Amino acid sequence: MKVTFKDVTMSYDGKTDTLKDLNFTIPDGTLVSLLGPSGGGKTTTLNLISGLLSPTAGQIFFGDTDVTKKDALARKVGMVFQNYSLYPHLSVLDNIAFPLKMAKVSKAERHAKAKDLAKLVHVEDQLDKKPGALSGGQQQRVAIARALAKSPSLLLLDEPLSNLDARLRIEMREEIRRIQRETGVTTIFVTHDQDEALHISDNIMVLANGSIQQFSSPQTLYDQPNNLFVAKFIGEPVINTIPAQALAADLAGAVPEDILKQAETAGIRSEALIPYDAGENVLAKLHGKITQSSKYGREATANITYNGEHLLSTEMAGVSGSQPELDFYLTKSGFFLFDQSGALIFGGESHAK
Amino acid sequence: MLNEKASFKSTAKAALYLLPMLVITITFNIWPIINSFLMSLYTKYDFYTDKVSGWGFDNFVYLWNDPDFHLAVRNTLVFVVGVVPITVILSLIIALLLNQVKIISGFFRTVYFLPFVTSTVAIAMVWNWMFHGNYGLVNYFLSWFGVHPINWLTDPHYALLALIIMSIWKSLGFNIILFLVGLNNIDHGYYEAAEIDGANARQRFWNITIPMLSPITFLVSVNGIIGSFKVFDEIFALFQGTPGPGKADLTIVYYLYQKFYTEYKYPIAAASGVVLFFLILLVTLVQLWYSRKHVHY
Repeated sequence: MKVTFKDVTMSYDGKTDTLKDLNFTIPDGTLVSLLGPSGGGKTTTLNLISGLLSPTAGQIFFGDTDVTKKDALARKVGMVFQNYSLYPHLSVLDNIAFPLKMAKVSKAERHAKAKDLAKLVHVEDQLDKKPGALSGGQQQRVAIARALAKSPSLLLLDEPLSNLDARLRIEMREEIRRIQRETGVTTIFVTHDQDEALHISDNIMVLANGSIQQFSSPQTLYDQPNNLFVAKFIGEPVINTIPAQALAADLAGAVPEDILKQAETAGIRSEALIPYDAGENVLAKLHGKITQSSKYGREATANITYNGEHLLSTEMAGVSGSQPELDFYLTKSGFFLFDQSGALIFGGESHAK
Repeated sequence: MLNEKASFKSTAKAALYLLPMLVITITFNIWPIINSFLMSLYTKYDFYTDKVSGWGFDNFVYLWNDPDFHLAVRNTLVFVVGVVPITVILSLIIALLLNQVKIISGFFRTVYFLPFVTSTVAIAMVWNWMFHGNYGLVNYFLSWFGVHPINWLTDPHYALLALIIMSIWKSLGFNIILFLVGLNNIDHGYYEAAEIDGANARQRFWNITIPMLSPITFLVSVNGIIGSFKVFDEIFALFQGTPGPGKADLTIVYYLYQKFYTEYKYPIAAASGVVLFFLILLVTLVQLWYSRKHVHY
């Protein structure tokens, strides 16, 4: 189901706004991530959707229905909590069947449905165990099955992977994606891990300081960040940021003069610094010095000093050592200029082509 | 060191630390228990010379045939059945209400806890007055509903009920505190999850609160049953050193007390203590067996 927020403001204490004038629409059948740093308003947004919180101002719509005044009971969404909140006194089967029991579905029917869901999430061999006897990943699967039990119009996941170890996290995020595709349920996924969000989502909403920084597809988020915050938040290693002034001389001619004048900060992705001339795609030729280079598995990084600023490149493998002082090239894609307020004024796909 | 092996020296050192408590426990608990078990088997016993010239089960046969002891067992069971379930349910309800009160909950907690820290004698004196046939508050209150004055403390039909009412009131405070602790220990996330799962307030109570409180409910009821089986001081204080009108409030421990201190029949008193011991043991074992199935930790 489509979810729409209209001018939603949320304040816990009546003084500071945790969320300010939020407006967005989550399309039906998609998987959307709410991404952002701690305290950015992700979980608050999710709880507003679930109905566990009600907004201070504004309206929330499911489809075309105004649900602002409805509580969690009436909204009928499915939710997976960060710590799963599986009922410790019930078996896996009863946990999954719990929402159906609350809806007064007959015992035979709800057990049949719960078994189907257990099969969907691959825990059909654990039905008689108590949640305490399951591993983290299995608990996670049970929690998802429980959330899906009442065939919700919306599936909400609140940092569902943060309690799992690294390998299991990757496995479970693929699982969530698979289950979402199989069921087609509109899914909203809260995370602070950009890697998770980039891999799993159709669209990502970056939330920080109580407002939406950017709401777009993962690729757009990376290639065309709306502002300096998004550019810094998305991408690993973190984007190089240096004062635009340091680049001014080398960029003259390549970037319109009025834009260069407004530019405050330059953002350079580590893969935008290459050791060879790539022709069309090159924006400028720079000169600098490699101070340190290292290699981790398939990843190589080089620290470059340029005009007294430090830059990190991941494309300099093999160049280092023999020629510490060198010319290198700045590509059009992966280079951005931001003005004083942090808004993007140059760079991104429209300029790179 | 964490990896230190237990040696004779380390064990001896540990025993040394345990010794003071051990001496006290053995002198005042273990030895008397063993002694009273033995004493219950004395059939010919001279208290003044501490000479035992006969052993056997005659004391238990005596109890088996003593109508007073039958009455004591009957009264004790009625008391337990009257006090424990109502205490558990009432203290749970009050704890739930207190949990809802946000503003002056501290005040209410103190008020409900006061009976626990007040001396039984003082409580009994107050209730003695409240139960008074002519001037008592209880009868005055009942008169609003057209109930005729009841001689709570002098009518054998009501004396046990009076004791039960006072005991329930006295034990509420502590149990309310236990239930409050239990309620606060339930993770709020379960309620949120249940709400999302479509459980209304009543369903949340029966499906989350009650099962999650079961360890506390178990503790409160075991504690209550053991305490109620041993009831004595309330009777002694409420009826000024008598077992109530027409022995209406004669319980096992009161029977034991009478045999020991007023009739000097020590072996009989010891035997009734042994019977009480096995009665409590039996009930507790039944509860433990029940808890295996129904208490969720």
